[in-house]
Amino acid sequence: MVGDQKSSGRADNLVRPIETRYALSGEVRIAYQVVGQGSFDLVFVPGFISNLDLHWEDEGYTRLLRRLSAFSRLILFDKRGTGLSDRVDVHHLPSLETRMDDVRAVMDAVGSGRAALLGASEGAPLAMLFAATYPERTRALALYGGYAHFHKWVMPPERLNAFIVTAETAWGTGATLPNFAPGRVDDAHFTQWWARFERLSASPTAAAALARMNAEIDIRGVLAAISAPTLLIHRRNDARVDPDASRFLARKIPNARLVEIPGRDHPIWTGDVDRVADLIEEFLTGERAVAGAERVLAALLVTRIYDTARLGDRMWSERSEHFHDTWPTLVARHGGRCADMHGEMMISRFDGPGRALRCAAALRDAAQQIGVASAQGAHVGEIESRGAPAGLTGRVTIQLAAHAGRGEILASRLVADLAVGSGLHFVDRGRVDIDELEEPLALVLAMSEQHLEPACRPKTRATEPACLTTRESEVVSLIADGKSNAAIAAELRLSEHTVKRHVANILLKLDLPSRAAAAAFSIRHAGPDGP
Amino acid sequence: MLTKTQTVDGAAIKKAIEGRDGKMLSSFYADDALVRVIDRNNPPSKPREIRGRAAITTFWDDICSRAMTHKVDTTIANGDSLAFTQACAYPDGTKVFAAAMLELKNGQIARQTVVQAWDE
Repeated sequence: MVGDQKSSGRADNLVRPIETRYALSGEVRIAYQVVGQGSFDLVFVPGFISNLDLHWEDEGYTRLLRRLSAFSRLILFDKRGTGLSDRVDVHHLPSLETRMDDVRAVMDAVGSGRAALLGASEGAPLAMLFAATYPERTRALALYGGYAHFHKWVMPPERLNAFIVTAETAWGTGATLPNFAPGRVDDAHFTQWWARFERLSASPTAAAALARMNAEIDIRGVLAAISAPTLLIHRRNDARVDPDASRFLARKIPNARLVEIPGRDHPIWTGDVDRVADLIEEFLTGERAVAGAERVLAALLVTRIYDTARLGDRMWSERSEHFHDTWPTLVARHGGRCADMHGEMMISRFDGPGRALRCAAALRDAAQQIGVASAQGAHVGEIESRGAPAGLTGRVTIQLAAHAGRGEILASRLVADLAVGSGLHFVDRGRVDIDELEEPLALVLAMSEQHLEPACRPKTRATEPACLTTRESEVVSLIADGKSNAAIAAELRLSEHTVKRHVANILLKLDLPSRAAAAAFSIRHAGPDGP
Repeated sequence: MLTKTQTVDGAAIKKAIEGRDGKMLSSFYADDALVRVIDRNNPPSKPREIRGRAAITTFWDDICSRAMTHKVDTTIANGDSLAFTQACAYPDGTKVFAAAMLELKNGQIARQTVVQAWDE
């Protein structure tokens, strides 16, 4: 179910393939893409390695690029020797100046006389060098997680050697991920993507050579020559680049402003991508970003497996897999949707707190039967109606689950207040400080002995086929035939947009999490004339 | 302010756009002018709004900094209303087509609505 949602989200974002072209820089061809229709140009200078095609296969990267290209004409490229650009002799890698010239070549190819530059990580020194060299072509400079001197702010020589050994011996396995995004190492999907990202962005030898070359970066001398308005963004606990690096830049670049934001994952497309995009948008357009997504009130439940150290790896792995398999069934049975997995954290969403807590109780029992212990958190708040609940409500719920003890269902007081009259019972658990919340959050513990589990299954779900309109029934049976929205649109002579609306309404009415679930529903309820 | 002597009409706009003369273009606007842009990212119910001469100057500076060709074709004038179409091409072949409707006040552009479509 999680997979379904992720892939459909990606399909929505990727309406069409992005065209890749090549600009000639000297004798080397530099791959680039242009997206967006904004009135000014924004060149994204990527960090260590990149691959233009692969970026669009990661949810966070796609989100970042979509956000940036909504207000600019966004120009993306792979540095020479990386991604889709020409390979170069790894023993004679290009200098920072040569790579900077690649930016100019790409700008010339797309007819960009003047552009704002967004430099991320190793892309930041490159963007700074460009701004100092070509002030007339630099509209503004946005630098994320940047630095002016590698050894001072990224890693000292001895740690660099260890990093290079890892890169050379385990390149392509995702082994470098903990160096960049420790918060994502438990995310199997992302780890796989990262391993591909390594393989498709650079060869092992090139990666090691690039790392050695980046280690020579020291552009402290050019900072005073940067005249473009500059925004610096740095995550306070950045795992790769010390935030002092940006504080130094803020002091040395004449027209710079630094914004420090929470977070530790370093890649610009991980963590709270929207926060970064908001800051860049406001800086470059002078206007605050308007949240485009629709927000809805929802109850979130985060379930984790509690303290498994005593089980041993193998048994733990089997049991946790079993529990993960059980999770979607129980969530669906209680009218919820599996929203996301964050490592061991399973996140589900419900329309109301009562259902979330009943599901929590069922999950706890299931865990016990499987032979593991659960710990859960529940909270209510606004989340984006589409995609995984990535906002504050989600983060608070995750922290509640982290605070919950063995077998506990820890909820915010708000959940208890909203569940008045539901027959659920709670005991007070004081208050806890939560990151990002200004005041401590009042907590309750949901009690099971007071008939948390209803005597019979809640009959609140409107899952009778009769509640669908004739048109919706047609659409659902075509979904069951495995047809895409485009194919359904053609068959019913509707626009694809209308079909999308129908599908959304169907999922809402039947309270189903995905197209696959709608197809299964259709097959279960198929009468002589379909559902 | 800079070049107030230039009358705003179809021919002047054509010359300034095709010559990528951002300074000249921004001088055509009233201080409190409003430009609205409607395109794929800025739908009719939420068009992009550029208010005031300073923001409009930046807007034209950005567009005129692009090494692209502009061709202003159909220009229609009717009292204080002016309309024109504009075909543009980037060096890599990407084409943009825009239709603009203008309201003039005291010889300056007070309000402009642009609808544009891009190759993609």
